[in-house]
Amino acid sequence: MDLSAQYFSLEEICYATQNPSQTIIEIVNQGIVEPEGAGPETWLFNTQMISVTKRACRLHRDLEIDWSGIALAISLIEELDQLRDENQRLRKRLERFLDQ
Amino acid sequence: MDFQDYYKILSVAPDADSKTIKTAYRKLARKYHPDVSEHHEAEEKFKQIAEAYEVLKDPKKRAQYDELREHGGQGYRQEQTQGTSGQHYSQSSSDHGDFSDFFSSIFGGAYQPEEGAGAHGFSQQGFSSQRAARKGQDIETDMPIFLEDTLATSSKPISYSLPHRDAQGQVSQVNKTLNVKIPAGVAEGERIRLKGQGGQGLGDAPSGDLYLRIRLVPHPLFDVEAHNLILTVPLAPWEAALGTSLEAPTLSGKIKITIPANSQSGQRLRIKGKGLVRKQGHGDLYAVLKVVMPGSVSEESKQHWQQLADAAAFDPRMEWRQ
Repeated sequence: MDLSAQYFSLEEICYATQNPSQTIIEIVNQGIVEPEGAGPETWLFNTQMISVTKRACRLHRDLEIDWSGIALAISLIEELDQLRDENQRLRKRLERFLDQ
Repeated sequence: MDFQDYYKILSVAPDADSKTIKTAYRKLARKYHPDVSEHHEAEEKFKQIAEAYEVLKDPKKRAQYDELREHGGQGYRQEQTQGTSGQHYSQSSSDHGDFSDFFSSIFGGAYQPEEGAGAHGFSQQGFSSQRAARKGQDIETDMPIFLEDTLATSSKPISYSLPHRDAQGQVSQVNKTLNVKIPAGVAEGERIRLKGQGGQGLGDAPSGDLYLRIRLVPHPLFDVEAHNLILTVPLAPWEAALGTSLEAPTLSGKIKITIPANSQSGQRLRIKGKGLVRKQGHGDLYAVLKVVMPGSVSEESKQHWQQLADAAAFDPRMEWRQ
């Protein structure tokens, strides 16, 4: 099957994540996701941003943290994920290098 | 059906006040939230914690539960189970309707969030004013891809399970298989959205979406670094010293590479354009040299090494002596 359009307007991301537009605007204002485009009418979000938005909403709901706290949590989680990935990659390479 | 001890789940006393319960929930939620936690049972634990909090934070539900608990949870088995496992958290993340059977048996069928409710059901609010019509569950699942398959756009089958509601409103898990076109150059962690391939909607609402998260399958020879590939090339000491030409594997057939004389272990040679596919062009392949000693050394070889040692006058630990 064919892939659907992988870019989304504000209206589409609201629908895809089941959020009102104020929530999405808040998430963008906090810099949690950074869509292309100058303002809400022209914003374009990609699939990755949908996933981040959904994650942000889950954390906001389940951990009862305000949006600026979520922005910090998301950036720390992303950094942690990157470091974990990098650590795993470097370990793997080290293993290759040390194994006979 | 098993009796769930919600107080035990939240590690609070049965007479704990609402503030204590809230603090206990927040602490455990931070620890086990599947978006934060690496714990292997995080998803299952978090579901239990969220369910316990859902009941204990609400005085009406709590009173109902306490009454049942006082009577020893008659009609329920007393041991606690881990519940059903294997379902990815985000499969149910937009729908907290999958609380345990125990919960449903006390508080009724599919969980519906209260209007304006705080903690749970947040994502279901706001959009559709008609609660009866609700978009189906989004499903997120991993899509393992071999490095070789990222070089060109390919079609791959993906199987996943999703909740299906029959005419009587009974929900069961059904398996579904789709053929998905994976665009060339996909990267680790990238997501692909397939609209309308998630769980069915309630009422007239459309189905949820399927999100595929690309997972590059570890390769026996190549490591991935952004769009570059890394290949470890074992060399005999004399190959490193004298240089050599050898055939090396790439993702698309073998190529000849030239090792210059006097190469060092750990040195990287760049082979342009033989990495992974990018949106524009290709990444590179890096050959990392690794000098390997032969397993056993014959008497004759030993003599040669000795001659070399005498002639070379090389001190690899020069730095230690300064």
